[in-house]
Amino acid sequence: MKRAALALLVMGCACGPSSGTSWQPAAFDASSFGWLLDTCGASPDDLYAVGGTESSGAAMHFDGKSWSPVSLGAPVPLLNWCHAFSSSDVAMVGNSGTVLHFDGNAWNLQATPTTQNLWGVWGASPSDLWSVGGDGLADGQATLLHWDGSQWSSVTLPALQKVGVDQLLKVWGTSASNVYVVGQRGVVLHFDGSTWEEQLVGASDDLVSLWGSGPDRIVAVGGRSNAIVSVWDGASWKTTSLAPTPGLNGVWMREPGVAHVVGTYGTLGDLDLATMTLTTVAPPTSLDFHSIFGDASGRVHAVGGNLADANPPSYQGVAYERLLGSGE
Amino acid sequence: MRISTFFLGGGLALAVAAACGPGPEPATGVFANLGDPIPSATPDELATFNRGKAVALHRFTKAEGLGPDFNVTFCAACHERPTTGGGGGRYRNFLLVGQTLADQSFNPLGKSGVLDQYDLAAGRVATPSQTNVMATRNPIPFFGVGLIAELPDSVILANADPNDANHDGIRGRANYDRGFVGRFGLKSQTVSVEGFIRGPLFNHAGITTNPLSDAMRAKLPVPPEDSGVSSTKSFFQAAAPDAPTTDDDGVPDPEMSEQSLFDLVSYAMLLAAPKPDDPTPDSEAGRALFQKLNCTGCHVPSLAGPRGLVPLYSDLLLHDMGPALADGIVMKLAGGSDFRTQPLWGVAAEGPYLHDGRADTLDEAIRMHGGEAQAARDAYVALAPSDQNLVQTFLESLGGRSQTSTGLVPPGAPILDVGDYGGPATALAGDDAARFTAGRAVFDRDVPLAGGLGPEFNGDSCRACHFDPVIGGSGPADVNVIRQAYVTPAGFVPQADGTMLHHQSAAIGVRPEPEPMCDYFEPRQPPAVFGLGLVDRIADATIVSHEDPYDADGDGIRGRASRLADGRIGRFGWKADVPSLAEFARDALSNEIGLTVPVQSGLTFGKTSDADGAADPEIAQTDIDALVFFMSSLAPPPRTHQNISLEQTGEALFTSVGCAKCHIPSMQTSDGATVQLYSDLLLHDLGPAYGPGIVDGQAGMTDFRTAPLWGLAKTAPYMHDGRAFTIDDAVLAHGGEAQAIRDAFTQLSPADHDALVAFLGSL
Repeated sequence: MKRAALALLVMGCACGPSSGTSWQPAAFDASSFGWLLDTCGASPDDLYAVGGTESSGAAMHFDGKSWSPVSLGAPVPLLNWCHAFSSSDVAMVGNSGTVLHFDGNAWNLQATPTTQNLWGVWGASPSDLWSVGGDGLADGQATLLHWDGSQWSSVTLPALQKVGVDQLLKVWGTSASNVYVVGQRGVVLHFDGSTWEEQLVGASDDLVSLWGSGPDRIVAVGGRSNAIVSVWDGASWKTTSLAPTPGLNGVWMREPGVAHVVGTYGTLGDLDLATMTLTTVAPPTSLDFHSIFGDASGRVHAVGGNLADANPPSYQGVAYERLLGSGE
Repeated sequence: MRISTFFLGGGLALAVAAACGPGPEPATGVFANLGDPIPSATPDELATFNRGKAVALHRFTKAEGLGPDFNVTFCAACHERPTTGGGGGRYRNFLLVGQTLADQSFNPLGKSGVLDQYDLAAGRVATPSQTNVMATRNPIPFFGVGLIAELPDSVILANADPNDANHDGIRGRANYDRGFVGRFGLKSQTVSVEGFIRGPLFNHAGITTNPLSDAMRAKLPVPPEDSGVSSTKSFFQAAAPDAPTTDDDGVPDPEMSEQSLFDLVSYAMLLAAPKPDDPTPDSEAGRALFQKLNCTGCHVPSLAGPRGLVPLYSDLLLHDMGPALADGIVMKLAGGSDFRTQPLWGVAAEGPYLHDGRADTLDEAIRMHGGEAQAARDAYVALAPSDQNLVQTFLESLGGRSQTSTGLVPPGAPILDVGDYGGPATALAGDDAARFTAGRAVFDRDVPLAGGLGPEFNGDSCRACHFDPVIGGSGPADVNVIRQAYVTPAGFVPQADGTMLHHQSAAIGVRPEPEPMCDYFEPRQPPAVFGLGLVDRIADATIVSHEDPYDADGDGIRGRASRLADGRIGRFGWKADVPSLAEFARDALSNEIGLTVPVQSGLTFGKTSDADGAADPEIAQTDIDALVFFMSSLAPPPRTHQNISLEQTGEALFTSVGCAKCHIPSMQTSDGATVQLYSDLLLHDLGPAYGPGIVDGQAGMTDFRTAPLWGLAKTAPYMHDGRAFTIDDAVLAHGGEAQAIRDAFTQLSPADHDALVAFLGSL
């Protein structure tokens, strides 16, 4: 029975991953998965895609040949983000304070000191993970958690100049002493290894995600209504509006000169950071992309769903991928 | 290419699409009087229009989800001028708040940037301490918004010239929302009518909604259109907030049904465009001047929609209006001095003008233009006064002139029926009808800034707070007055400037703040003024005769008259602190509107001077006399019967339960008329639930005058602070001297309970 279900789920798997540099639908039926919110992986043949529905989180695994559902071991709510150190050390975070960890053999729920939704996770090492969350709609509390190798603990935020920051959305860094968090109302926090501090970057709207190519090139994107991008060049932040491009949700970088971005209404684009010129492709979908992630082979994966509807009658996912060209 | 289209009144259009030959024809079947449905509406759409209008007029209660914070209790509170669906008077101005940080990022505070006035629990919403930007907003009309919703993005963008390529100093640029061109709101920050309704419903009334489903959106009068972004789905009428709105007031979300939201959105979409007047030589001359001045550089005469040319006189683009008009509010791509060109159709009836209502007249509004409009403004100022008048005449011809009044009562409105709500108590003879009408006009008139409004105020007219169910009535919870107090464990500490904490300031971007020590805020409901002429004629001795301050009869009721220092007996106001209708008028004119009154022998209420720059007194005694005559002539609320037998049973219970001990059914005037007000006009202690409370003259902190019950069914909410939205809740809210009676009410059988409530509702 499981095999039959899997056969239905995996459409076009005989074709394998796309080999072109133009966007192509991913090699599985994303529409029936639920929302797809992130992709991560330690290697091109060991990728995860996470998401699901509000009440039921789900994940897929790519083994280099095909995607298949992951048995998570226990019911979990919606999974929002993931981070992989190796094939035996993967973390997924989700709603209601959910953290799942894979040790190479099994998925285990890890206790956290929060019931807030967790939106992002990143770590400098398996014993030094950060997760962020909160809720921007109702009774949210900006949440920052740290994993020290044995337990998750809450980290007190610095007093913020920006009022009303109820959710932190993503965390990313280049080392244990250079970690950034972005979130609601354009808030940016930086950790230097000992202290978190707020950095004012000139962003008025939510910054949803961030990535970088090194400590001197960090790119945060967001905007909700109209796309904004905030760039750290090692000395200062500069925030630029990319309107009329709608809000961006995801960014991933391989080269310091270009940021690959995704966003609402099917936005897929490459941002030239020297000229701040965004080149987009014709949206292949009207659904919202939530995340973009590239693996070591140079393949980037864009995933999302009908995210604009907070309570959709049916959860739809969407997944596209392409190979990066040289210099991208 | 810049599209240049000129629209002439009366349906004749001359359209010039430069070098492109004849342009589109003017839209037809879209014009009507302000507030009417679009003539092309189908019967089904008309039914929806009427349902939606009912939603717009519905007063939301706490049980329906009002609050917890709110500015208004219904949509038409702010969209009433000159009729439902329009703009709002200055008393409906509201405030936007935010913080601008060192990096110049802007962070909206309050509720999505809106600072509500009222908190159902605390009385008043405090201004966020981090606020360093505060902007005044005047509500804008909805007439013709369905036609604006239909406009393709490309039509709006065709007039954009962000780099001033044509060197005319005008740099129109679009605001955007998720890739679509914004068009609604004073900063064009919103794309869709649905978004423009759902946001304010939540921000101003605390009413939560879910977005309309795709199926319902497809049924809207302006359905979704293919955006061109997607081949699979369109989002033209989808706009912020896309997510369900939620709050924590204990009422399940969404608090408005999808059907009601659909009706409301449809109603707005079906409001007709203001019907322009037929052109006259003067209006045509003014139109020519309007063009010559290059007012049309921003106020583009028409935009081409699917029904033809839409003569809204706006490019719907953002323009920098200069530092004098800048408000510091950032909305998407609109900066602090950027504003959408306001449509001019219907402008005659839609004052006050500009985003913050700072201008009372069109002439003032034009003179206040700056920034990109500075040159056009200067050219206007340089015109001869006669030519300036022509420009104004032209603007007034763009619809709504026949519906313009000095307040909300339509021009030429008849006197309402004798004995009815808002009508006189008796037939008016001789000059009395004219005096009544004149007094009603004073009651209704919106006081302009130059007329002495402020410097701080609650309403800009008497009618602003007294309109339910008609002019002269009570006010809903969104016009409650706020009293402030400093209360220590030892009690109430008087403040030098009294207890009034106004809602509004005549100054732009300013909110009256409480005295530093005050920490208690008490709302006060505006009572109806129906029948007050009769109350005015009750002799002091009659009121005093019902006193029993030491409870000599042992019934627990200790009514006390409110004796003023000069010996007069107070009878008006929640604390019975005002002795006569003339004093009531003077007190309200000064304290609620900010008008200084003439010195009058024997009268002590009202201020005779203030610091607003207008010459004192700011209202003539003849106007006050007319006002007092109008109020004194108003009929008491008429009894209405649904089930006389049941109500008679309830009336007997009213006495047997003990309600009539304070709410005595009637008193006699000094000239022998019976006043069935259901009040003893005495002060009673309502108990600790009404504390800490405010001392006012003889009235202690929890002492209140027995509220008259006539008109009860039409004057919700109840109690001095509007804490009760139903008659049941009002009875249950009683305490103190009325505790035993309230408890007896709870012991009634269901049938007796219903009978008593039916009786109260019949008053």
